Order: sequence, then structure tokens, then C-alpha cells
Amino acid sequence: MNYLLSYLIIAEIYALAAMSTNLLIGVTGIFSIAQGAIFGIGAYIVALSTLSDTLPFPLAMLLAMLLCSLVNVAMALPSLRISGDYFVVTSLGMQFVLTAAFTNLPGITGGASGLAGVPPPVLFGVELDDSQSFIPLATLALFAGMACYWVVMRSPFGLLINAIREDELAVSAAGKNVLMTKVGVAALSGVYVGVAGGLYSTFLSFIDPSSCDISASFLLLTMFVVGGARTLAGCLIGPALLMALPQALAVMPIPSSAAGPLRQIIYGALLITFMLFRPQGIAGQKL
Amino acid sequence: MLFLQLLVDGLVSGCAMGVVAVTFTVIYTTTQVFHIGHGAIYTLGGYVVWYLTEQGAPFVLALPVAIAICAAAGALIQQQLYNRLMQRNATPLVLLIGSLGAALVLENTLAAVFSPNILNIVTSWGNQTISLAGVRLSLAQVALLVSGPVLFGGMVAWANYTALGKRTRAVAANEFLAEITRLEPRRVHVVVLAITSGVVAIPGALIALDHGMHPYTGTLVLLTATIAMISGGLGNLVGAFVAAVILSVVQTVSTIVMPGQWSIAATFGLFVVLMIFKPTGLFVRSTA
Amino acid sequence: MSTAASILDGPTGASVAAAAYLDIVGVSKSFGGLQALNDCTFNVTHRQITCLVGPNGAGKTTIFNVITGFIRPDAGTVGFQGQPLNGMPSRHIVDLGICRSFQNLRLFSELSVLDNVTVYLPSRTDENPFRPVLRPFRANSERRERRAAALAILEEVGIADRAEDYVRNLSYGEQKLLCIARLLASGAELLLLDEPASGLSAQALDTMIALLLQLKEKGKTFLVVEHNTGIVRRLADRVVFLHQGHVLAQGDPEAIIADPALGEIYFGGAI
Repeated sequence: MNYLLSYLIIAEIYALAAMSTNLLIGVTGIFSIAQGAIFGIGAYIVALSTLSDTLPFPLAMLLAMLLCSLVNVAMALPSLRISGDYFVVTSLGMQFVLTAAFTNLPGITGGASGLAGVPPPVLFGVELDDSQSFIPLATLALFAGMACYWVVMRSPFGLLINAIREDELAVSAAGKNVLMTKVGVAALSGVYVGVAGGLYSTFLSFIDPSSCDISASFLLLTMFVVGGARTLAGCLIGPALLMALPQALAVMPIPSSAAGPLRQIIYGALLITFMLFRPQGIAGQKL
Repeated sequence: MLFLQLLVDGLVSGCAMGVVAVTFTVIYTTTQVFHIGHGAIYTLGGYVVWYLTEQGAPFVLALPVAIAICAAAGALIQQQLYNRLMQRNATPLVLLIGSLGAALVLENTLAAVFSPNILNIVTSWGNQTISLAGVRLSLAQVALLVSGPVLFGGMVAWANYTALGKRTRAVAANEFLAEITRLEPRRVHVVVLAITSGVVAIPGALIALDHGMHPYTGTLVLLTATIAMISGGLGNLVGAFVAAVILSVVQTVSTIVMPGQWSIAATFGLFVVLMIFKPTGLFVRSTA
Repeated sequence: MSTAASILDGPTGASVAAAAYLDIVGVSKSFGGLQALNDCTFNVTHRQITCLVGPNGAGKTTIFNVITGFIRPDAGTVGFQGQPLNGMPSRHIVDLGICRSFQNLRLFSELSVLDNVTVYLPSRTDENPFRPVLRPFRANSERRERRAAALAILEEVGIADRAEDYVRNLSYGEQKLLCIARLLASGAELLLLDEPASGLSAQALDTMIALLLQLKEKGKTFLVVEHNTGIVRRLADRVVFLHQGHVLAQGDPEAIIADPALGEIYFGGAI
């Protein structure tokens, strides 16, 4: 039972991250390979704040949301001014730089070994130190995220970003500020992935660079592709399936050194297969 | 003298990086695909040579085999993946994701087969060095210094003087027009991928010989190469090569003031500064 | 071209220029080696339909891009109701009341007809992602208001019955009407139309021309790129003849159409 709850919590956390990816890539068409690193910022910020007792959990989460949002904006503003491809390169660079920061600042981030013993969240005096007490928080966060996503998609802003994906030039010709809208998406997307990261490190009581390196970005991307673009159903299905994958692999006779690469091969194969045969994913819309 | 040694080291890796940047630029301007898999092909070149030399083959025989295999791999990706996606009117985003998928599969297959650890290519002459004005150069490094400009010059000459090169530039300039004037852009794309993939195997193998390699070197190399392509002014082969050399030198020399793991931050930082102040690149020519 | 000098409308150049609604003076633009616009000078009169004619490559689309701020000219000025537009960001130009359509339509194919129009409605708060999150009810009522406004525009244009349909299900004529609807949604007073009538069936053409004339009666001003002399005759109050980026003649449509020298350029010596 505990095991199932853990799986659900992790799936919910990744569903929030998937919503972030969906906003950026699925709805607006901005390709970022730095999602893993931004997730890491959220995770580390909350971990550090609660470990050092500087901030209570809710404030730490707010700080994570703010910082992740700002980093996304800092990436987006100079590069999107020019083109989407510049943003790809910028996000790749940012992913590497942040991984270097997570790994090479042992005084702050614990270096390659990461931070252990991250205290569980304390809400209204209650310590959420096991799966059973954590799952209401994760589920609540997920529902809040879904509600926000739904509201945003139905709003004039939501219509605008869909139109930008369709034909940016026509949107410019309408007198809209396409650049600032895209930066806005980046900011909102940052909030989602910051929440996901913060929940992650406090649930697992642990965070290290391997959870937020480029392979984490690939995982998020694969979840988005498999689940499908732009739909809430896609944001739920993708993580649910991809999180079951390591379990499925664990029962197969594979040497442990090949497990990591094998997972990545599967992600890559999934990406190729879906792009060739079903770009809208399982439950999504045309990509 | 440490600075001079680092400078030369930077020039050496710059030559390798330059070839990667130039080949990537040719692919990008011709096919409009941001071919992330290119980094994986670069890595593949090194691994093919490693495998063959481990079986006892001499380096000079292993290298052409690596070139051939990489050319085939690149052509395969173009033909089976990109061409098919283009036929279905895939958006650039779909192509990008497909490209990433190809890179993941390729790199991680290497990791699964050869282990994720660093491997070194062993040759009888690999450890020999020469001394030049107080600077030590391994023969691999000399090979890189020579092959870099040669390959770069070769690609420029190919683009400007051969029939295929001109056809490629025509396709790059206006694909729609190329389609209707029977230049067969799809076919051209496959050939371009074959040529560029084959060429990039050379720095891949030589750098692997010099530094050793692991399955994921390609991604970092690709980052620097794409930054070089953009900094040099998109489509400008000379600019891409020169920018790659400059970036490599900066990366290597910066280790004087910061630990090696941060050198990527130096490159990236330069890129962001460039984007803010001169986004069209350093060497943009005034003609369209 | 000596005939050009004889076809100038109004008394003398100077007194006409001061009152022009849209004033293009000496605009030049080159792309690499290609001179797209060469000392281009003409004006557009308020509440009139001015047709921009000329052979292919004459610079018609380029002048649209200059007027709307998508391209900076190398030289010359563009003035709108006396206000210079040079260097203004394109979205401010739209705020002033100038909007353009595209020759290849550029409709949002995955959005409904109604949504295509809604996107073009002006708004101060569209671009803020946190607004719908912080004020969801306001966002909802805004959405309903905008949909109503968009529907009214679709009615004005005559395709309100297609509101929830997808763009790909519309006939070409209806798609072109949708383009006009989008421009109206933006609040434009000066509409720049790039070949609004090309490819239309006779019936759709009648509908389009009737609509444009009707909008003119309501006070809109048009600058229309058009190739077909028959359509120019039916639409235009004035004609501007552009060739190799330079205005050869502007004025009365019949006079310009009848001019043999211009006719030869248009049909004979085109690029």
C-alpha cells in the first residue's frame, strides 16, 4: 500500500512538472531542454531552506516558485528576442551550467552526493513524514495546478499562446507583444516546475544532481510526448506510464550498469516512435 | 609556460570543435533540422575506432571504417527519420524531438554496449609527443591541428566549387524552388548528412585518441558547436569555424582562473553576452 | 515616363501632402543587392479606397511591411494623420489604427473562426499569464465579452453562422472574409489589404467588393494591393502605380488604367 502511495505521489509530482513542459512546448511551441535543471532549482531551494531552518515549508515553496520563474524568464528574454532555436541552445547551456553548479558547490548543494535528511513538510503544525500524510498535499497541489492550467487555457492569454504556436507573425500583426507573451509563459511554466521540485525533495528527504541533470530533462520531455500535448489528460497519463517503466525494467534480467542507459534508449525510442506515428501522444493534440 | 600550453591545447580542441561546428552548420542550413544527433555521431566515430583498435587493427585502417559507418548512420537518420517526418509536414518542433530521440538512442546504445566509463584508444604512437617552442604536442594533437583547417577548407570548397555543393546551397536557399526544379532536395539531404557525418567522425576519433571519451561527450561538444554556429553568424562557415576556435581557447585558458567544470559556464556566459549585444553573430556578412 | 507627370491628382503637391491621411514620402529600402523600394512617394486619402497596382516584384508587399513597422526603411518617412511612424514598434502602429492582411491569409488553422477573430481584439491584459490565475472570474467574464464582440464582427462581415467552425471547413471566399473580420476586430481605421479578391469566384467577389464598399461608407480607409483591373475599377477611388519600387503615377483609376505606357509596363516589361 505504501508502495502504491509512493508511486502515486511521484506521479503527481511529475504531472505538475509535465504541465510546466506542456505550457512551454505543447501550447506555445518553445522547446526547452532545461526543465530538469529548473526542477532542480525548486528542489534545492526548498531543501536548503528547510534543512537550515531558514524558512518554513510554505514560504520555501513560494521562494522556489519565484526563483524558478525568474530563471526561466532570464533564459527566455534574451534568446526568444531572436528565435526559438536560440532558446534551445540557451536552455541546453543553462542545463549544463546548473548541473555544474549543483555538482561543484559542495558547500551549498552538497556536491555530487546531494543533500540528505531534508525535513518533511510541516503544515499547520503537522509533519507530513510518510506517504500517507504526504499524499493529500501532493494531490492538493496537483488539483490546484490543474485548476490553474484549465483557467489559463480558457482565458484570453490561453487563446493568445495557442495562436502564437499556430502563426506568430499573424499574432504580431494583430498588435500583440509576442515576445512578452512568451516570456510570460516561461514565467508561469517556472512556477509549476518549482512546485514540483519542492515537493520532490521534501517527499524523498533527499536531492542530488542526478535527479535534475539532462536525463531528467529527457524524462520530462518523454512524459510530455507520450502523454500528449496541451491536454490535462496527457499531463497525467505521461508521468503515470513513465513512472511505471523503471518498475517494469527492474523485473527484467539486465545488468545494473546497463539499466540507466537502457531507460534512456527506451525514452529515445519512444520519442522517435511517437513523432513518426503518433505525434499527438496518447491523449493530446496535434504537435 | 602554462598559458601558452593551454592556448595551444585550446587551438587543438578548437580545430575539432570547428569541424563539428562547420558540419553542423551545413546540416542546419540545408535541412533546416536542428540535428542534435550530430553529437552522437561524433561520439560514434570515436567508439568505432576504439573497438577496431582493441581488435588489433591499426588506427589508420580503423579511421576510414569509422568514417564510413558514421556516414551511413547519418544518412540513415536523415532518410528514415527526418525525410519521413518532412513528408508528413512535421513542424520544426517535431523534427527537433525526433532528432533528440535519435541522439538518445545512439548515445545510450554506446553506453549500454561499451559501458558509461571513460575509454582510451591505445595506439603504438599515441604517446609520442613533439616539442615546439616550449609546448608539448601529442601526435594526435598535431593530427587535429592539421585536419581541422583541412577539413574546414574541404567543406568550404565542396560547398562553393563542386556540383553537389552548389546544388546543396541551392536547396538550402530555397527548398520549395528546389523541389519544383527537380533538384531533389530529399536526396540532397541524405547525401549532405552522409558527408557531414563521415567528416565529423575524424575529430571524434582524434579527440578520443587524445583525451579519451565516454558516451555522452557528444552533447557537450554539440552545445559548443551550436554556440559557435550562432556566434559566427548563421550560415557562415568561416564564422562558425573561427568562433569554435575562439570558444575552445576561452574554455581551455579559463581553467587558469576557474576549475575545469566551470569552463562550460564561461562559454555559455559569453554566448549570453553575445546574444544581448550582437545577436546576429560576430561575423555576419552584409549580403543576404 | 513623361505620362506620369500628367497624372497627378489635386492642385499642386504641397497643399495635398499636408492633409494626407497616410503619407509616404521618399521611402527607399534595399535587401542586399535588391532595391525593393526606390524613393517611393504617395498618399492615401481618408475614407477612400486606394488601390496599389504594379507588376510583380514592384515592392507592394515591402511597402506594407514598412508602413506597419515590420521593416525599417533605409530612407524616407511614413506619416499617419500627421504623426510620423518611423521607428515605431509594429504593435504601437496597430494601436494607432493601422492593420494589414496577408496574401497567404495566415489564419490560425487549429482555432475556430470565432477564436481567429477574438485573438485580434485589442487588449491591455492579454499578455499577462498570471491574470487568469489571480482573477479567474474576471478572466471568464472577459472571455465572454470578447466572444460577443467577435460574434458581432462576424455578423458585420457575414459569416456569423460559421462562428464555431474550423478554418479548414470554410470556403476560400469565407476565409478571405474572415481575414477582413480579423482586421476589423483590431479596431483598424486604415486597413491594408494584400490581394483580398484574388482567387475568388464571381459570387464571392461580389460579396467581398460589396463588403469593402460598405465598410468605406462606415468610415474605413483602405489601401489595397490588387492586380485585376476589373476589380480595381469597381473598388478604387484612387490608384497608385508602383514599378520597381517607385511610384510612376497616382490618381484617377480610369486615367491610369487607360494609359498605354503604364499598360505596357504592367503587361509587357515586368520583372
